[in-house]
Amino acid sequence: MELNGGSVVAMIGKDCVAIASDLRLGNQAVGVASNFDKVFPVNDKLYYGLPGLATDVYTLKEHLRFRVNMYRMKEEREITPKTFTHLVSSTLYEKRFGPFFIEPVVAGLPTATELDPHPKPFISTMDTIGCITTPKDFAVAGTAQDKLYGVAEGLWEPDLEPEDLFETISQTLLNAVDRDALSGWGAVVHIITHKEVITRTLRARMD
Amino acid sequence: MALYSQPPMSYTQEPTTAPVEHRFNPYSDNGGSILAIAGKDFSVIAGDTRQSEGYSIQTRYARKVWQLNDKAVLATNGFAADGTNFVKRVKQRLEWYEHAHHKPMGLKSIARMIQTMLYGKRFFPYYVYNILGGIEEDGTGAVYSFDPVGSYEREACRGAGAAQSLIQPFLDNQIYFKNQQPEAGSEKFVPGNLPLSTVLSLVVDSFTSATERHIEVGDGLEIYVVMQKGRSADDLLDEKKLAPGLKVEELGALGEGEGERTFLVRQSLKRD
Amino acid sequence: MFLTRSEYDRGVNTFSPEGRLFQVEYAMEAIKLGSTTVGITTPEGVILAVEKRVQSPLIESSSIEKIMEVDSHIGTAMSGLTADARTMVEHARVTSQMHNFTYDEKIGVESCTQAVCDLALRFGESVEDDDALMSRPFGVALLIAGIDEKGPQLYHTDPSGTFVRYDAKAIGSGSDAAQQSLQDAFHKQMTLVEAHSLALKVLKEVMEEKLDENNVQLAQVTPAKGFEILGETELKAVIETLAA
Repeated sequence: MELNGGSVVAMIGKDCVAIASDLRLGNQAVGVASNFDKVFPVNDKLYYGLPGLATDVYTLKEHLRFRVNMYRMKEEREITPKTFTHLVSSTLYEKRFGPFFIEPVVAGLPTATELDPHPKPFISTMDTIGCITTPKDFAVAGTAQDKLYGVAEGLWEPDLEPEDLFETISQTLLNAVDRDALSGWGAVVHIITHKEVITRTLRARMD
Repeated sequence: MALYSQPPMSYTQEPTTAPVEHRFNPYSDNGGSILAIAGKDFSVIAGDTRQSEGYSIQTRYARKVWQLNDKAVLATNGFAADGTNFVKRVKQRLEWYEHAHHKPMGLKSIARMIQTMLYGKRFFPYYVYNILGGIEEDGTGAVYSFDPVGSYEREACRGAGAAQSLIQPFLDNQIYFKNQQPEAGSEKFVPGNLPLSTVLSLVVDSFTSATERHIEVGDGLEIYVVMQKGRSADDLLDEKKLAPGLKVEELGALGEGEGERTFLVRQSLKRD
Repeated sequence: MFLTRSEYDRGVNTFSPEGRLFQVEYAMEAIKLGSTTVGITTPEGVILAVEKRVQSPLIESSSIEKIMEVDSHIGTAMSGLTADARTMVEHARVTSQMHNFTYDEKIGVESCTQAVCDLALRFGESVEDDDALMSRPFGVALLIAGIDEKGPQLYHTDPSGTFVRYDAKAIGSGSDAAQQSLQDAFHKQMTLVEAHSLALKVLKEVMEEKLDENNVQLAQVTPAKGFEILGETELKAVIETLAA
């Protein structure tokens, strides 16, 4: 975790979810890149973030892309956020005794089905070996985890509209990574609504 | 003599392991968090009351915030024994100073004295993070924060202790307005000008957040408010303006009473 | 019958049967041999003036130093054994710097005076390897002038370690006459300029030589500029007003 640095946060809003990450890639205290996105789309209703060891970010991302594509072809439908969380979890647990150094965060809007006509916005997070937590408010991970907890706990409130959720998650991420030497160097935010996904790159402190 | 046969070899052999060395560790960490925010004509210094060691709670009520004189309040965090003893020494020095110079010590002088006291134990430090809050000679609210060996700085706000990493970035955002900009045409944000009611709710929010996410923070909250002489205390004493659950008590003047007023606001925090 | 006075003259830490410490009293006498020194307090600041006895025309008068800076806001003038004053001024300077270092503020004039007086009675026979005490009392009196939050102040210290605050004070050989002149001319609302000329006028009255810019020294402590010794041109200007 402390080798490359980086942090991810996800939040639930009213009929929307948001996920955001910083853009730093470092080698311990040395900054290497400021365009290292740690959040990836599964589809236009589901994103996930992989803060942790950069080499595992690539490996896991590619592995998950393969698994999701296989799922899509076999099942002929999009994977739900909940199922995807379990997919990530079991992938991580496979490496129980030689884990990926990553704590994933998942954020998605489940599509309505006959069984569940009004699904709630979904976020989840896991530890390095895939133990799942599904919070009702926000999920944080990465080197700025405790800072993110502090700010999110202070700023987040229930039922935020997409634009308010954007402001809340942006302020949370920015102020947390500004106090973390291993995170920062820019940030990117995704707001997932039923209509669209809004992606914005934030102007941030670059020190 | 056959009764006294030779004992087995293993009994007579010298122990082969090296002697075990026991070392006394003079420090421990007693958790908890403190926080101070300066206003234009007041200063707020707060701390939770839980004291713990490892996973066990030693007490749910231990003071971390201390009234030094009519215009200064000191919060200590880290190793509780060092904290209480340090405060004792500071109070003694304040008394000596009054005897020698016929006046109470000013806030900036207390700050400097704390630096020299801490640095005086540079090689066997007080394992304590200090935050000093109060009213400066010119009447402004002030906060000074220290590291255990005396490095210090005057600031608009500071959080310290177990939940510093949770509190400080929140304060950066809400007190220093970091990562915020005023709407086009509106006035620039200036830190240290927030009204007391806003500051109090930020303090309460900081501690409830820290209590929620940090196991070493909780039980009770003590908030000291020091006000400039002549300032109206209506915003604090009016029950209707105060958030529910807060209890206010005025602390009498410790010295001659030059007009500054100190209040103690208490609130309970979650005990789990 | 009581022992004769001379028996008690010797020990610096022995009271006489009448309850006196003769060595201290003799030290006070030493001051009366010193050159006259004057201090005056005004609402605008404090001034110090000393007579410099230039015993020989071959003496470089500027090398006689009887007014010294203690801190930027405190100065002192001396009369008596001026060599002793160095020890005291050194102590006062160190105390002032230590106070500033420890408390991030200027030391009070009274506190500084007290610090000097704390030294005064540290004489006597040292016990074993006790920190070397001084063998005799100081033979010098000081006028300590300064400004702090309580305003302009003037203190007088003597070898017994007693200090008293004055509006105006004269010490040294001409002190009796000078003190009388001060008492007659002093008033609380005096300006700094008036104090300058009064101080020199008083010195002029008691000096044997004719007063000029080489045989007097004038210093002041003001809220704006702190302690400063007046330069030759400023001193000349004040002397000219006297002549007129």
